[in-house]
Amino acid sequence: MAGISPRIRSTALPAYLLLVGRLVVSAAFIMAALPKIQDPVAFGVSVEAYRVITGKLAMWTALALPWLELVTGFGLLIPQIRRGSALIIALLLIVFISLHASAWARGLDINCGCFSVHESDKAPDYLWLILRNVGLLAACFCVLIRDWQNSEQGTLREDASTS
Amino acid sequence: MLRELCIILLLTAIGIAYSLIAGLSPLPWAEPLLEAGEIHLADAQALKVIWVDARAIEKFEKSHLPDALFFDEDDWDRGLFELMNTWLVQPRPIVVYCGSESCNTSQRIAERLRESLPDAEIYRLKGGWDAWQE
Repeated sequence: MAGISPRIRSTALPAYLLLVGRLVVSAAFIMAALPKIQDPVAFGVSVEAYRVITGKLAMWTALALPWLELVTGFGLLIPQIRRGSALIIALLLIVFISLHASAWARGLDINCGCFSVHESDKAPDYLWLILRNVGLLAACFCVLIRDWQNSEQGTLREDASTS
Repeated sequence: MLRELCIILLLTAIGIAYSLIAGLSPLPWAEPLLEAGEIHLADAQALKVIWVDARAIEKFEKSHLPDALFFDEDDWDRGLFELMNTWLVQPRPIVVYCGSESCNTSQRIAERLRESLPDAEIYRLKGGWDAWQE
């Protein structure tokens, strides 16, 4: 233990805060995935509304993306696939933020397709959508960094015990 | 990390297969179906319909489908009056369109028109103006 660097042992956030962050991101992705899995056609319309991809590619995205969200949402709580899930979630959130910013800049009046696939009469609040995803992304990065630190710590422990 | 990503992709693929087998999703490679009250552009053209443009006036003035009538949802009575004048002279199916597949205006106007003109055959154009552009 004496060989472990103090830099690694110190963490920026308390463990319980990281757990809360992990649970929030996980719950958000699971809740977002379920309605889309039940109605992929309606979600496909939401995907096409962003006018980035259309037709069959949009339908494939509408079919695959919710399952990826569900698996990574649960994966964030499973130690064996936690880092991979956090990495994919972070990448997805970056894509979502870019799409919202792009739709906002183009003045698209569309259904977000985030947590519900049914059309809403209200205009999308892009600022809120982006800020929400930035918050989730920050939580996701904290989880990633912490897991990497833990992994590094574990490796150093193994090295220390073998030497 | 690679092993984790492989597990995640495998689980996702199982989920996709479940959606397809359980019939939750249509086959992505199949042609998209029409929803109730929708019509394809080619079918509408064959029927020589009355086009109703539900987009903003600026877009209508810039370009619109042949002989399309501009319909302002906020000026309902005037739009309905003009449409009735055209329809009564030569009754034909009416097709409402807005900007794209995702816009709701054409759907709303088509539903209201069905109440105002119960004898008319009224559709919403699948894909909206974008379908015409393609």
